[in-house]
Parts: sequence; C-alpha cells; structure tokens
Amino acid sequence: MIRRVTGTAAGVALLIGLAACGGGSDKAAEAKTLTYWMFQDRTPQAGEVVEKLRTDFEKANGVTVKIVKIPKDDYNTKLGSAIASGSVPDVGILDQPLVSRYALDGTIKEMPAGTVDEKAYYEGALNTNRVNDKLYGLPVDHTAVALFYNKKFVPAPPKTWDELKQMTAKIHQDDPKTAGMVVPKGDGYGAWMWPGIVAGAGGSLVDEKDKKILFDQQPGVDALQLWVDLLPSSPRAITDSDKAFENGLAGMMISGPWDVANIKDQFPDLQFGTAPLPYKTQPAGNIGGENAVVFTKGKNADLAWKWLAYLTNSDNNTKLSQALGGFPTNIAAAERDAATFGPDQAAFLEQLKVAQARPALPQWIQINDEIIAPAIESALSGKVTSQQALSDAAAKTRALLGWTG
Amino acid sequence: MAYFIIFLLYPALSALYYSFTDWDLRTDAAWVGLANYADLIFDDVKYPHFWKSVQVTLQYTLIAVPLTLGTALAQALLLNAIRRGSNVFRLLLFLPVVTAEAAVGAIWRWLYDPQYGLVNSFLGLFGIPGQNWLNTPELVIPALAFIAAWQCGISMIIYLAGLKGIPDSIREAAIIDGATPVQRFWRVVFPMLRPTTFYLLVTGVIAALQVFGLVYVIFSGGGGKSVTGGPEQSGLTYVLHLYLFAFRYDAMGAACAMSFILFVFIMIITALQFKFVKQEAS
Repeated sequence: MIRRVTGTAAGVALLIGLAACGGGSDKAAEAKTLTYWMFQDRTPQAGEVVEKLRTDFEKANGVTVKIVKIPKDDYNTKLGSAIASGSVPDVGILDQPLVSRYALDGTIKEMPAGTVDEKAYYEGALNTNRVNDKLYGLPVDHTAVALFYNKKFVPAPPKTWDELKQMTAKIHQDDPKTAGMVVPKGDGYGAWMWPGIVAGAGGSLVDEKDKKILFDQQPGVDALQLWVDLLPSSPRAITDSDKAFENGLAGMMISGPWDVANIKDQFPDLQFGTAPLPYKTQPAGNIGGENAVVFTKGKNADLAWKWLAYLTNSDNNTKLSQALGGFPTNIAAAERDAATFGPDQAAFLEQLKVAQARPALPQWIQINDEIIAPAIESALSGKVTSQQALSDAAAKTRALLGWTG
Repeated sequence: MAYFIIFLLYPALSALYYSFTDWDLRTDAAWVGLANYADLIFDDVKYPHFWKSVQVTLQYTLIAVPLTLGTALAQALLLNAIRRGSNVFRLLLFLPVVTAEAAVGAIWRWLYDPQYGLVNSFLGLFGIPGQNWLNTPELVIPALAFIAAWQCGISMIIYLAGLKGIPDSIREAAIIDGATPVQRFWRVVFPMLRPTTFYLLVTGVIAALQVFGLVYVIFSGGGGKSVTGGPEQSGLTYVLHLYLFAFRYDAMGAACAMSFILFVFIMIITALQFKFVKQEAS
C-alpha cells in the first residue's frame, strides 16, 4: 500500500514537472530569444562558420539565437513530433518538398512583403519556397547533381545522350570488369534525380496549374529509356559495390557537390572531373538544398525573418552555403565569390542556372517514393517497357491526386 | 502505476484514438472512423505497398525465426559441451547483440558487397558464384534473416541456461540405457528444452514481425539517401512501411491504424501458439 502511494505521488510530481517545462518562462527574455533548428554540421569548420554568424547577429541586434542541431536523418521525425506537441522552434530548416505541405496547412508563415528583394535570389531556388505564387521561406543554400567522370576512362565528358551511351559502351567493352556508369536506381534517390534527366529532353513531370501529369509523355519515356539503355554496359553486379566509382570500377556517376569533397578526402589518387549532365535537347538539371521557414506557432516572427534575411544576404550566404555543402542562393554573393569555388564546382554552378524545382504538391514525396521509384525500378529490371511503367505510374498518380489530366 | 499510465496506457490509447482520424501531426486530427483501416486493406491507390509489406514481413518471420532458434541452440550445445575457454566463446557469440545497429548495418553491407564481400569470397571457395545479395529482390529477405541469426546471442544464452538446467542424472540414465548422442538430443535434451523453445518462439515471432532497425540501416546505408525498402520493395517490412507513413508521408493517423492492425495480428498469432505449440517439458 505504501509503495502504491509513493508511486502515485511520484507520478503527480512528474506530471507537475512536465507541466512546468511546458509553461512559459520569463517573458522579457523570451522576446529576445530565437530558436533556430538546423541539420547537424557536416564538418567542424562548418560549425565554426555557423557559430560566427550567430554571435555577429546577436551582437548587432541585442538578442539571443539558440541553435539546435539535429542529425539530418532524424530531422523530420523530430520536427513532426515537436509540432504535434506544440514545442516548435521559431524558425528552422525545412526540406524543399515539405514547404508546400506545411504552407497549405498553415504550419509556416507567408513571408511578409518587403522582407527581402526577391530579385536578389536565383529563381529556381526561390521557387522551391513558392506555393500558389506566395513565398513561404528563403533558400539558405541550393545544390544540383552533375556528371562525375574518371579521367582514366573518359578523356572528355559526354555532352549529349548519344555520346554518353557510346562512352559507357566503350568503357565496358574495353574492360568487362568496369561498368560504364553507375546508373541510378529505382529508389527515392534515383527518383529525385530523374526529373533533371526528363528536363534534359525538354519535358517536365507535372503541370500543377492545369492539373496534368506530364511524366508519361515522350520526354519522360526517353529519359527512363536512357537509363535502361545504359544498364547493359553498366552491370549492377559491379555498380552495386560500395563506392564503385571511387574505387575505379565505374567510369561515371551522377552525384552532388558533397561527393567532390568526400572523394578528394578519401580517394586522393582518383583522377576525376565533373561536368554538366548530358542532355538530349537542352541543358537541364534538378535542384536540391535547404530552405528555411518561420513557424506559425513560433514567437518573434519579425526577428525570425530578419535572421533568415541575414543568413541569405550577399555578405553571409557564400560562407554559410559552403559550410552546408551547397551553393549560395543569393546571386550577388554567388557572382562575387565565384572564384572561391574552384574548377570542380563549376559544373554544379552551370547546372544550377538551368535547375528546375520539384512539383510543389503536398503529396510529392509519397509520389516520388511509392509511385515513380517503383516505376523506374520495374523498367530497369526489364519487367515492363519504359512507356508501360510510366503510363501505369501516371494512372496511379492521377488516382492519388484525383486529377483527370 | 503512474509509470504504467503515463508511459504505456496513455500513448497506447491515444494511438488508438488517432488511428480513427486523419492526422498529419500539424493540424487538428479529423475523425474519419474506420476509413484508415478500410483504406489500408482495400485501397491500393493510397497504400500501394501495404500488402507487399505484410508479405515481406511474414516471409522474413518464417525464415528468420527458425534460423535464429536453430543457430542459437547449436551454439548453446557447443558452448555447453566445451569445458575450457567457454567464457571467451560466450563473449564472442554475444558480441553481435550489443553492437550498435548502425554498425551492424555498415558491416553487413560490406560483407554482402558484390565485388569485395567476404560472403561471396567464402561461397567462391565452394565454387558457388557470387550474388548481389542486397540488390536482388529474391535474396534480400534471406540475407536479412541471416543477419538476424548472426545476432542470436540472447536466445543462445537462454538456451544455455536451459541446458544447464537439465539434471545430469537424466543424461546419465540415457547413456546407461545405451542411447546414442543423436537419440539423447532428440529424445531427452530437446523435449526437456521445450519450455525454453516455446518462450523463444513466441518472443522471436513478435520481434520478427516488428523488425525495423536492421532494414532501415541496411537500406539507408548511411548516405542520407531515402529509404524506400530495397529493390522492388523487397525489404519493405511492415514497421518500415509504418514509419514511412508516420514520418515521411505525414499520415500519422494511417500509421496508428497500421500499428493497431499489427497489434491485433500479434495477439492472434501469440494466442495460436499458446493453443497449438507444446509448452511443457516431457
């Protein structure tokens, strides 16, 4: 009996403790404190850059910025739980495809007019924050994928799909133990890169305004067929090996700027170059990167927008985006600091000029993972033709979205 | 009692409530009654891979549980037989259990590597051609089950305790009666271990039906790449599917419904085992 009483008492005490945590603390201090959530630093140097930006901002504005760093893999899980339990940060990073979802259900705030000059940013990056023609955040950094090639096998990078196909065939023919290229897979990551290939054939995935699916039309079919055609000269048994390109087992791969640093660090002997993605009719690419938004339930919205404008202004954006592993979204910053990126990054900068934002549909992640990725996989595995796979995927997407076009 | 209410009953009941709602964690939950359950089971537009995940999980359970129990029992018998150095082997065989899941995933990705993997090199000794284990849909589940069997340390310890509990007099009596080692195992040791086997079977099935961490780390590969469950969803286990809907596709209501379907299924399976599997030592 005594034990039960103590148990209950402890429970009550615990509840009170929990309640106290949730309650408001000193109001005066609160007005000057901003909580910012971001991904964990990639390198110690990146941490220093962020720290410097934070202290400078604090000094200039007489406020406190509390930065919470969360591993990227856990970020959305933590953010979702925080929002559900009402303990949201004031401002934080948000994955590009989540912006439309969060904007449509009112979780994040529309950016007040006049916060920044929209012309100061690259259009593709800014558009990843745009939902129904309204801006809901600012791009902190952006990134794109490009073609990595091993100089041992590829003397000059291919510019067109035909050259790419010839080159992969030749690499594999010269040495059957070497794959021409690491062909992306039908998984979430491959499905993320695929729109850039479709755009290279002059197509796009959906028409949001007219509610039409476009990825099953000719450019989409051609883009998928390109990957199917590359596979025979790029066997999976070779390219599925860990770091096949880095170990010299594959002539080419598609990846992002983060791998430039990784390869130089871990494979200093590999002679590689980067080039814009080969295309069919026009240079194109996809876009990735980090957006930052202001949460509706957070405090100090004015200060939050000020902080975001500060992170993306022409003075700071290059340093910050380099620390994050991407490129500045601020045009003035990018142009002024172009020389600091070095020749290996030039291909990505080229790509960013032609990069296109993903469809701003709240269901896009699910469509990407559950419909487009399996469609790509079924075509790559040879179970159905590219056209069948995409027609089927388009039908499923229409059914999910309730579209007719 | 308070612990029970706050940390077990309250979350379970709220999950049950949310399973009847359409909830994305951010906006207010909207009551939809049984729609989540009906859609999961019948609507393959909204949940194209629900039944695939059920199938993957059942296949995994059917392979992983017997394999784990068999490995654990074999290891326990070996440990029980040796007199010297048994502590060292006990430690070695138990190590896989205490190794962090992320490290286990990284190591096995490397062991299964189609070019450099030790698994293929080992098979090569017997002239068996190398396989692309983690990227061939048919091989994904056996490959995962094998890792589970490798991690059987806890079952092994429990079996070892069971073996130590068999009185020497029974064994000696069998020897005097002229029973061969094989007869002794099947007629004496194994029946005496029946309560242990039953316990491990029930808990093993429950754990296998909920497998998540292993597939998550194996297929994310630490590259920050999105986890869609391996080639052609061949490794999309039920709980991974649930996790994706809860935290990646923002359908917490449906995810809660999935967790209750799993809960009911586990209850049924466990009840069936209690009814039909022999539990008493004989």
